[in-house]
Amino acid sequence: MPRPLVSVVTPKRVIIIRRIVPIAFLAAGTLLCATEPSAEEKAFHEQVAPLLVKNCLECHNANVHKGGLSLETRGDAVKGGEDGTALVPGKAEDSPLYTLLVPEHAGAKPEMPKKKDPLGQEEVAKVKQWIDAGAHWPSDFVLKEKARGDKSFWSFTKLTDPAVPEAADAPPEWRREPIDRFIWAGLAAKGLHPNPPADPRSLIRRITYDLTGLPPTPKEVEAYVQAAGHDRQSATEMLVDRLLASPQYGERWGRHWLDVARFGESKGFERNSIVGNLWPYRDYVIDSFNQDKPFNRFIEEQIAGDVIGKDDPKVEVGTAFLVAGPYDDVLNQDPVAKATIKANTADEIITATGSAFLGITINCARCHDHKFDPIPTEDYYRLKAAFDGVEHGDRRLSTPEERRRAHEAIEPLKAEWTALNDQRTALQDAIGKRVAAMSDVPTSRPVLSAHLTEETFAPVPAKLIRFTMLSSSQNPASALDARIDEFEVWTGGAEPRNVALASAGAKATGANERIAKDFASAYDVSLVNDGKFSAAWNVGLPAVLTITLPQVETIEKVTFSYDRVQQSNVPISGHGPMVTEYEIHVSEDGKTWKKVADSFDRAPFNKALAEERRRRATTTPEEAKTLADLNRQITAVERKIDAVPQAALVYAGEFKQPTAHTTVLRGGDPMKPAGEIKPASLNLLDKVTSPYELSLDAPESERRLDLARWIASDENPLTARVAANRIWQYHFGTGIVDSPSDFGYLGGRPSNQPLLDWLARRLQQGGWKWKALHREIILSQTYQQASTWRKEGEAADKDARLLWRFPPARLDAEELRDTMLKVAGKLDPTMGGPGYRLYEYKQDNVSTYVPLDKVGPETYRRAIYHQGARAAVVDLLSDFDQPDNSISAPKRVNTITPLQALTMLNHSFVLDLAHDLATRVEREAGPDREKQILQAYQFAFQRDPTAQELVEAARFIEARGLFPFCRALLNADELIYLD
Amino acid sequence: MNPEVLSLARRAFLTRITSGFAGVALTQLLADDFLAGQLAAAEPAWTPGKPQFAPKAKQVLQIFCPGAASHIDLWDYKPELEKRDGQPLPGEENLVSFQGKNGPLMKSPWPFMQAGQSGKHISSMLPYMAEHVDDIAFIHSMTSRTNTHGPGCVFMNTCFTREGFPTAGAWVSYALGSLNQNLPTFIAMQDVRGEPPNGKANWGNGFLPAQFQGVSMAAQQPLRNLARPEGISAEEDEATRAFLHQMNSEHAEQHPGESELRARVAAYEMAARMQLTAPGVADLKSETAHTHAAYGTGDRNPLKAAYARNCLLARRFLEQGVRYVSLYCASRASGVDGLLNWDAHRTLKADYERHLPIFDQPTAALLGDLKQRGMLNDVLVIWTTEFGRMPTKQAVTLGRDHNPDGFTCWMAGAGVKGGTSYGATDEFGRRSVEKVSSAYDFYATVLHLLGLNHEKLTYYNNGANRRLTDVHGQVLREILA
Repeated sequence: MPRPLVSVVTPKRVIIIRRIVPIAFLAAGTLLCATEPSAEEKAFHEQVAPLLVKNCLECHNANVHKGGLSLETRGDAVKGGEDGTALVPGKAEDSPLYTLLVPEHAGAKPEMPKKKDPLGQEEVAKVKQWIDAGAHWPSDFVLKEKARGDKSFWSFTKLTDPAVPEAADAPPEWRREPIDRFIWAGLAAKGLHPNPPADPRSLIRRITYDLTGLPPTPKEVEAYVQAAGHDRQSATEMLVDRLLASPQYGERWGRHWLDVARFGESKGFERNSIVGNLWPYRDYVIDSFNQDKPFNRFIEEQIAGDVIGKDDPKVEVGTAFLVAGPYDDVLNQDPVAKATIKANTADEIITATGSAFLGITINCARCHDHKFDPIPTEDYYRLKAAFDGVEHGDRRLSTPEERRRAHEAIEPLKAEWTALNDQRTALQDAIGKRVAAMSDVPTSRPVLSAHLTEETFAPVPAKLIRFTMLSSSQNPASALDARIDEFEVWTGGAEPRNVALASAGAKATGANERIAKDFASAYDVSLVNDGKFSAAWNVGLPAVLTITLPQVETIEKVTFSYDRVQQSNVPISGHGPMVTEYEIHVSEDGKTWKKVADSFDRAPFNKALAEERRRRATTTPEEAKTLADLNRQITAVERKIDAVPQAALVYAGEFKQPTAHTTVLRGGDPMKPAGEIKPASLNLLDKVTSPYELSLDAPESERRLDLARWIASDENPLTARVAANRIWQYHFGTGIVDSPSDFGYLGGRPSNQPLLDWLARRLQQGGWKWKALHREIILSQTYQQASTWRKEGEAADKDARLLWRFPPARLDAEELRDTMLKVAGKLDPTMGGPGYRLYEYKQDNVSTYVPLDKVGPETYRRAIYHQGARAAVVDLLSDFDQPDNSISAPKRVNTITPLQALTMLNHSFVLDLAHDLATRVEREAGPDREKQILQAYQFAFQRDPTAQELVEAARFIEARGLFPFCRALLNADELIYLD
Repeated sequence: MNPEVLSLARRAFLTRITSGFAGVALTQLLADDFLAGQLAAAEPAWTPGKPQFAPKAKQVLQIFCPGAASHIDLWDYKPELEKRDGQPLPGEENLVSFQGKNGPLMKSPWPFMQAGQSGKHISSMLPYMAEHVDDIAFIHSMTSRTNTHGPGCVFMNTCFTREGFPTAGAWVSYALGSLNQNLPTFIAMQDVRGEPPNGKANWGNGFLPAQFQGVSMAAQQPLRNLARPEGISAEEDEATRAFLHQMNSEHAEQHPGESELRARVAAYEMAARMQLTAPGVADLKSETAHTHAAYGTGDRNPLKAAYARNCLLARRFLEQGVRYVSLYCASRASGVDGLLNWDAHRTLKADYERHLPIFDQPTAALLGDLKQRGMLNDVLVIWTTEFGRMPTKQAVTLGRDHNPDGFTCWMAGAGVKGGTSYGATDEFGRRSVEKVSSAYDFYATVLHLLGLNHEKLTYYNNGANRRLTDVHGQVLREILA
C-alpha cells in the first residue's frame, strides 16, 4: 500500500502553541486549547480533517488555488472561491463542500473530488454530520499536505565521517585502500566476493577510455602490458598520471558536465535558431577540468563568474551555464503569454541549477510545496529571486587592456569617418536644397495600387516581357525585397487571355531575395504566374522579372499586384514593401527590346519617391560621381572599424537589476502574484547550513554570489554528495545513488552511503579537486577487477551495483565516433573553437536541421566539438543515445536498435573510415596478408588475432578484399564493448 | 506492492532494456529470459509490450495539420459569427493576441453545410470529409497552454510546451511495443514542404530510450541509411554481414551472460529484414489505378499529390502493423504567408483555398479505405492541430491570429462513437466553454482506447514518475463507443 499523503496532527493532550507557523512542509495543523477534546473536536481532527487533506487539498490549497478556492483554513472555506462559499456552518445542504461530494444520481460520479475516487457513503455522511453540527474547525488550524520525506531524509543531513570498515576477511590487497574496504564490506554482507584483477590489456583500454574517451594506441598497450608484468601498481600509477595530464581528459569529463548542464547550441522552441557563440563555454568546461579547477570554485563561476571574476573573460564565461538551456524568443504580443514565457525562462534556470549542483528537483515546488521532499514553494521562489535579473543574451567578455586597445584603434578611424561623412552631408545638403526648391516632376496618371496595377499599351507582338523594378515603398533607390503575388500579361480582343500563366506554358524568371532551403518554392519567382494570389515572390537583385511566353503573342496589357486578396492600395506593415517605380519592355527575340510602359508619369507613391525623382532630375553627373566616391570611402572605413580586434561577444547571459520584487506565484501562475520573497538560502537545508537572507532590493550580483557560495560551501551536504556520486557514476556506469540529479525521496537510495559520504569528504578534503579522486578510484582493486560475469553474482546483485564485477559498458555516442576516427587514423586532435556541424542548418523564420548524407574531414574532430542543436537528429550520435539537450541528462540511456546497425553499415561516414582504415593497414603492414590482419586487429582492438581468427579473416579478405574486412571490424562488438 | 518501489523496479528494468528498434521490438526474441523474468517478480500493473486492460484500438493514425488549422473555418459551425460579421467581439473589443491587435469579428469565407446522418455542420470546402462525419467524434472544446506554434505542436504531441519530453507515439511504443518484425514501431511522415514547427521534437523519444522515437519516413523520403551503399554489391554486403556475425558470435561466446551482445546480433538481423521489407512497403505501384485516383496521387497540384501519396503510404504502414503513424499535412511557419502551413494571419481565404483541397480528398480517401478494409476496427484515427484561430480579423488583415482558448480536434475509428460532438466553444468560437478539454484529456482517451490507464503509464526521469498526461487528464467517456 502506498503511504497516505496526509498527515494531520490528531490532538491528544494539548500543548500550548500560540500561533500557527505556516511552514508548509511541517504540515498539519496544531491547535490551541487546553482541555480534553470535545466530540466535535474529535470528529474534525480524527475524521474530517484527514478526509479534507486526502481528497481536497491537492487542488484547493493556497498555492494551487483551483477555482479560486483554498480549504486550508475554516476562513478560506467559508470565504469560498469563484463559485461562492464552500462552507455554510450548520447547513450541509447549502455547503458545496458537502453537496459536491454527493452524486447526482446513484451510480454517477460526484463532481468532487475531481481527480480522485469518490468518497465512500460513510465518509460523506461524516462530512454532512460535521457541517450540520456547526463545522468545528479552530480558526488557526491550517491544513497542509505533507511531503513524504522530511529534513531527516538521508541526503539532507550533514555529511557523516564514516569509519572505514575493517574488512578483516579480505585479502591484503583489498585492505589497503579505504574504497576497497567499503566495497568488500558491502559485498560480504551479501555473501559476495569480487572478481580477480582484469588482464592488463583490458585494464589499459578501460582506463584510457574512462579518462580520455579514446582507445589506447597499440604501442601504448604493448608498453603498459610489459611494464605491468614487472610492477603492475607503478605501471598503472604512471598510466593514470599520464592520462590525467593529457588534454583529452578535459574533453572526456567536460562532455559529462555538458550533459548535466543541458548544453545545447540552439535556442529550441519555435524558432530554434542556432547559437554560434556558446562554444566558449564548452571550451571553458574542458579547460576547467584539465586544470583540475576546484569544483566549488567551478560552481561559483557558473553562477556568478561575472562577479568573482570581473574583467577576466576566462572566469566570466562560466555564467553561460545559466543560459545554456532552451529559450523561447518568439515575439509574443499576448501579455499573459509574455509573462508565462518569462516565468518559464526563469524556471528553466532554477531547474538546471537545482539539479546540476544540488541534485534536487526544486522545479516540483513551483506550483505548490514539493510533494515528496521538504521543499516549500517559498524555496523555489528564493532561487527565483536570485535569478530574476538573468536574461538570455550576449555579453562582451573583455579585459580592461583589450577594451583600451580597441578604443585606441577605433578612435582615429571614427575621426576619419566623421570627416568623410561631413563632406558627404555637405554635398547631399547642397543637392537637397535644390531638391527642396524644385517643384515635383509633373505626372499625368494616378498612383499605382498594391491591390492591382494596370498598364495598357498599343497591341505589340512579344515573346519576352521584362519588368524592371527601380523603387519600393520602403526604399526609393531599390526594389530589393519587394513582393509580387501575381503578374499577368494579356492579349486583346473580346476574350483576353492571360498568357503569362505557367499553366499556359509561360515561364517566369528573376532573382529571389529569400530562399527557403527546405521548400525551395516558398518565396520563388514562380509564384507570380501560378494563377494564385496571396503567396508572393520576394524580389532579389537584380530586380528584374522576365516572362517568357511559349510563342509570340500580340499583347496589349500587363497587370500585377502586391496583394490581390487584400483590398488595400498600400502594403501591409510587416509584410514587405511593394514595387513603386518600374519600366516594362517587350521583345520578340530577346535581342531588340521595346519599352511599352513605365511608371514615371504616375503620381509618386510616396514623398520619398517624389523626392527621389526630383533628385535624379537635378543631380549632375559630377555630383553623382563624387557621392559614389565618398560612399565607397566611407564603407571602407566602416570595414576597418569592424575589423578592429574586439573581445568576443559570448552567449553568457546579461544581468539586470530586477525592477520588481520577487513574489510567490500562486499555482505557478504568473498572473497571480502572492507574497514577496527575499533572495535567501533554502529552508530545505536550514538545519545543516548557515543561512543567509538578503533584502528584497538586494543588488542582482549579490543575489547570485551569495547563492553560489552557499551551494559551494563545505557545509552543504548535497553539493559534495552529488558531485562525488557523479564522479563514481562516470567511472562505474552507475552511481552509488542511481538517480544522479535527484537525491530526494523519489530518487534512488545509496547502494553504499558510508562510501558516498567518505568520497564526498575526501573530495572536500582534497580541495574539491576531481583528479585526486579519479586516481584513488582507478587505483583501487574494485576498479581494476575483471568484468567477468558470474551466475551467483547476478543472482544476488543483478546490476552489479555492489561491484562484484566491473560492469562492462558499451561505448557512448562520442566515444564510438572518436574511436572510429582514431582507429582509421583520421582523428583531428584540434581542440577548441567553433564547432562543426553534421547537419545542414536551414533558417527561414524558423530553423530546420537536416542530417548530412556525406561529411568530410572538417568533421573529423572529436564529437564534443560538434555544434549540437536542439531537436536535431544526426546520424550516429543520435542513434547511439546522445541526449537531446533540451533538459539535463545526468545519465544516458543505452539502447540497441536496428537503426544503429543501418547507420553503422550504410552511412558514408563509416564507409569512408573503413576505406581509410584499409589504406592505413596497407600502408603500415605492406602487402602481406597476415601482417595486414595483425595490424588491423591491433588498430581496432589492440590485440593480436587468435590463430582461428587469422584463418577466418584471411579467407574473408581473399574472397572480398580488405575494405569489407575493415567495414566489419568497425561494426564489431569488440570495438564497441569494453570489458 | 508499493507503487513507488514498483516504479523503481521498473526504472531499473528500463534502463537495461536493450531490446530495440527505434522501431522494431526485440522484446519477442528476448521475452523469455530477459523481460518476463524481470517484471514477474515485481507484479507490475502492466508489462511493457502489453496493454493494462482490454484495448479497443491496437494502432494509431495521427493526422496533424500544423500551423493552427482554424476550427471555425473547418469543423466548428458558428451561425452567430456569420450574423455578426464585422461587429466587435463583445467584451474583447481591444483584444491583443500573439501578433498584436485584433479587428472586428470575421465570418468564415465559405458557408457550412450539413452532412451525414448526424447532420453535422462542416465547411463546404470539405466535401470529401463531409462523407465521414458519421464516423467522427469531434472535440470542440480543446484548449492549449501556449499560443506559439512550436511549443503548441510539441504540447499537442507531448503535453509539455518545452521540448525534451516523449511524444505520444513514443509513449505508446514504450507501452505496447511493436506489432511487426521489420518496420519501425512509430513512423513520422513529414509533408513534402518540410518539417512541422519544432521539427523532430514532435516525434522524439524525449527521455525514453531511443528505440521508442518516431522514425522519419515518407513517400518523398526513404528511411535513412536503409539502402545498401552504392558500390557495394549485394553479395559483398551479404558476405560482410555473415563475417561480422561470425566475429560477434565468437565474441559473445567469450562473454557468457551478456544479454546485450545477443541483442546487438538481433538488431543487425532486424536491420537486414528492414532492408528487405521497407522498400516494398514504400512502393505504391502495386496499388490499383482506382485507389490512386481515389486518393488523388496523380493530382495536378503537386502538393496535393504528394500528401495523397503519404496518405496511401500511411495505410500501407498500418497494414504492416506499424503501431503509430503520424502523418503531417503542411509544415512550418514561414512567417510571411500561408503557403507552407495553416497559419493564415493575413489572407485566410486565399491561404485555405490552397490548404483545404490538399487536405480534403486524400484524407477522406484514407479514412474510406481504412473503413472499407475493416482496419478501423483496430486503428484509432486522431486529427490534431496545435490550437485554433481567432473569430476576429487580425488588425489590418483578412486573416486570423492564434487562439489557444478554443479549438477542435477529432477522433475516429476503433472504439470511438462516430457522429458525436463533444464540448463547445462560445457562440463565436473564441473560447471553450462547455466541457473544456485539452491535450491531457485527449491523450488520456487515446491511451484508454489502447488499453492503458494514463495515470499508470509512467517512466521515472529526473525526480518524477513522468506521464504523458503530466498530472492532468480525464478520459472523455462520452465519445467512446
